[in-house]
Amino acid sequence: MDRETLRRLELLNQLSLTETQKEEVTAFFSDREKDMAMLNAIDTSQTERQVHVMPIMTVVREDVASQPFTVEELQKGAPETDQGYWCVPQVME
Amino acid sequence: MNYETVIGLEVHVELATKSKIFCSCNAKYGAGPNEHVCPACCGMPGMLPVVNKRVVDYGMKAGMMLNCHINRTTTFDKKSYYYPDLPCAYQTTQWFAPVAVNGTVEIETSKGKKNVRIKQIHMEEDAGKLVHDLAEDTTHVDFNRTSVPLIEIVSQPDLSSAEEVEAYLERLKMLLRYAKVAECAMEHGTMRCDVNLSVRPEGSDQLGVRTEMKNMNSIEAIKHAIEYETARHIDAIENGTEVLVQETRRWDDIKGKSFAMRNKETAGDYRYFPDPNLMPVVIDDEWYDSIRESLPELPEEKFARYTGELGLNEYDAAQLIKSIALCECFEAAYAVCGNAKEASNWMISEVMSILNQRKMTYDMLNVNGTALGELIKLVMAGEVGRANGKKILAAMFDDTEIVPAEYAKANGYIMSNDVGLIEKVVKEVIASEEKAVNDYKNGKEKALMSLFGRCMKELKGNCDPQVLKSVLTETLNNQ
Amino acid sequence: MKFYTANADVAAERKVAVDDMILTKTMPTAAGSRMLDGYMSLFDAEAITKLTNAGYAVAGKTDVGEFAIDLVGETSYNGALTKDGTLCSASVEAIKSGDVPAVVSLDVNGSVRRAAAQNGLVSIKPTYGTVSRFGTVPVACSGETVSVMADSVAQCREILDVLVGHDDKDGTSLSEEQCALVKTADAKPAAKIAVLTNFCEAVDDAVSAKIDAAKAALTENGVDVCEIADEKIAVARAAWNILMSSELCNNVSRYDGVKYGYRTQNYTNIDELYTNTRTEAFGELLKTAILFGSDNLSTENYMKVYDKALRIRRVVCEAFEALFRQYDAVLLPACSKLAYTEDDIKSDKYIAFEENQFTAPASITGLPVVVAGSVQLIGNKFSENMLFETAKVIAKEGE
Repeated sequence: MDRETLRRLELLNQLSLTETQKEEVTAFFSDREKDMAMLNAIDTSQTERQVHVMPIMTVVREDVASQPFTVEELQKGAPETDQGYWCVPQVME
Repeated sequence: MNYETVIGLEVHVELATKSKIFCSCNAKYGAGPNEHVCPACCGMPGMLPVVNKRVVDYGMKAGMMLNCHINRTTTFDKKSYYYPDLPCAYQTTQWFAPVAVNGTVEIETSKGKKNVRIKQIHMEEDAGKLVHDLAEDTTHVDFNRTSVPLIEIVSQPDLSSAEEVEAYLERLKMLLRYAKVAECAMEHGTMRCDVNLSVRPEGSDQLGVRTEMKNMNSIEAIKHAIEYETARHIDAIENGTEVLVQETRRWDDIKGKSFAMRNKETAGDYRYFPDPNLMPVVIDDEWYDSIRESLPELPEEKFARYTGELGLNEYDAAQLIKSIALCECFEAAYAVCGNAKEASNWMISEVMSILNQRKMTYDMLNVNGTALGELIKLVMAGEVGRANGKKILAAMFDDTEIVPAEYAKANGYIMSNDVGLIEKVVKEVIASEEKAVNDYKNGKEKALMSLFGRCMKELKGNCDPQVLKSVLTETLNNQ
Repeated sequence: MKFYTANADVAAERKVAVDDMILTKTMPTAAGSRMLDGYMSLFDAEAITKLTNAGYAVAGKTDVGEFAIDLVGETSYNGALTKDGTLCSASVEAIKSGDVPAVVSLDVNGSVRRAAAQNGLVSIKPTYGTVSRFGTVPVACSGETVSVMADSVAQCREILDVLVGHDDKDGTSLSEEQCALVKTADAKPAAKIAVLTNFCEAVDDAVSAKIDAAKAALTENGVDVCEIADEKIAVARAAWNILMSSELCNNVSRYDGVKYGYRTQNYTNIDELYTNTRTEAFGELLKTAILFGSDNLSTENYMKVYDKALRIRRVVCEAFEALFRQYDAVLLPACSKLAYTEDDIKSDKYIAFEENQFTAPASITGLPVVVAGSVQLIGNKFSENMLFETAKVIAKEGE
């Protein structure tokens, strides 16, 4: 794990690490490389990926609309709201 | 040197469902800020997504309309990025197995017909809306559109001009509206378009540097943007005015220019992966066939049937196929009245003119076609006068429950065959219109029309014009 | 420890607690994170609804480690719960103090099972999809399961019976018929059990003694106990860490200081708002898991790492299927030692990502697992009744 990749990961995940944390995370990543070697020792070229552990298919619901909560309820714990909107610092496109 | 433009489009279309794609919130427009929001679509923990079946129906239907192969097992994936309009910081979309792939859309331009290949159609959720102008330092966030179902239609880079792009978009709109899966109104944001464009020397088989333009909300803006961007690319290639880079640009319609969008170091890594909470959707034969059977006749097929079997002229048929709503009204009216020509005349000279007067789009037509057929039948049978028929039709625009026969009776629009009454009215009119009678006797044919009009008015239009005319002339001549 | 008492006057045997991964309308849910300090859910988890409908009172909530991925709860923003330098679990304390006979939890990364094993309690993580996850704080959705911890097998089973059932609000919920199997399948102890020796080698003497005691109790009761080594099941940890961290990264990305929860005071633009909020409110283990999870899903690594882990999941599932053709259940330890100390986490911050080698096999496969007598027994799908009966033998319950 080089510093540039780590910096990119921090940005991508909106996190900022201290120098000590960076070292610890780097060590963690190098342990994971050992794990990868263990996984790669098993040939999976003939194995299908498995996303779900249970073979359920096609779970759908009918197209019926309902509105169980009010804006006031939804925004009760909001850090900043105005006129029914959530608020963030001005976003420039 | 001559250049050619290579264009591929990504078209987002909001599907016309009642509820959102993964939660049961209302998907309709027109609510106050965040009134169509629940814990799931404002990013609170704990709710689990369950797919709205109608979204899959419509995704499949759109795929079939665009001649796509339907993936019988289709899956949902998560795409991660931070932006305030995306409450979970991920969008659920289809990355690995989209609902439809490998289609074609035939377009027609001044250069003739051409097939545009469709790479894929995938189902996904829309993002929310950011409002920038309510306060100076603050952006306001509205999640009403968050999780409204979308399909994204991705074309191959088969388009080469603004004209072709326009023809392609118009064709998509027509097909999707015929299938009734979407409104496709760019002005409402229910159809949006990203343009991928590059320029290369004519005949070259290598693609140039590709830029993607976002944020275009009308076909005019898209055409304008394509012309601008093509010129910018050619200028860069020929004159070295700038170095072209693969990037995303924002089209500013007011300035008439495109601008590079803020390019974060992180751009581009969306970290797609299969959503563990959404099971694969398997489309069995029964489901597939039911959607196949629900497909509408295509505009060209309707045109052929209208001009062939139904004997309409090409102009009339072309008018009717402009909108599925017109076609359906016409067909229902014809089914009842049994006279295609008459039904088409009513559609074109009466129904469409009322729509125009009321500034309604054809798709907004709400007149019950069966009732229109009954009305036409009444007029054809001479039970209601044509002028009164038009009045009844206007009323049917305001009240879709109207039964024409009952309405005609209630409002005194029933034709009278009582010759005694007609003779009585004629006599009264002749007695009161001395000048006109004299004019007629002095050979002024116009005077007859005036007397006829008076009589018709007295009879409230409920009289066979032929009967009235003969009674009137007979009475005058016998004086 | 955080332990709210909402219904003090309810008879003790009708009281349960839930851990802080289960959303409740009347009590805050923080998931052990400063990010959700004081967060009030607008709705109850399906588990809460089922318990209430069955006449149980939810007496309170027990604290968890941040998003329940740690050893036994030590990464909670409330601080680690310790006794004489030993790490304790809030759920265990709630049961041991006699406040409640059972705690319903979300088993994300085995902390429930480790805590139960270290304290001689019983826990059941049922077959994935038999208990609704509606209203649980999502972390690693493909494997996490609502679980029960109690002081006896009978108590554990009683509460599980209440929780099991289909739920339309959870798209991964199994059908009512399949859920019913949890209650109706053969209630007989296992006849033949495989002890996974490669896991047994990685534990200290105290845990070894527990395994020996379990084996002895089973053999005494006529169960055929065999020892086998399985290299494929042994790699479950590495694959589970990849899947869990990646799903976690995605699931906790929603916590950004905009809609609810913690918001930094230190920002001038949206990126500072996001970054400072998350940097201030998240703990170190979680941050590391987020970065690791994100890296696994990157364009460069997806096929090499994430896709590989998905394939290994099938390899592990198939290894279990093969074992279940010969054996009724698989026995293995739940932890490497019977108590974790503060020094353990000081010397290795990421010990939970090693220690979960014992719990990952049942997490990654969604198979049911019982903890009793400080060991784990994994059975085939819907074999909860058999696991409970076997657990009784190990725990010498009802003798």
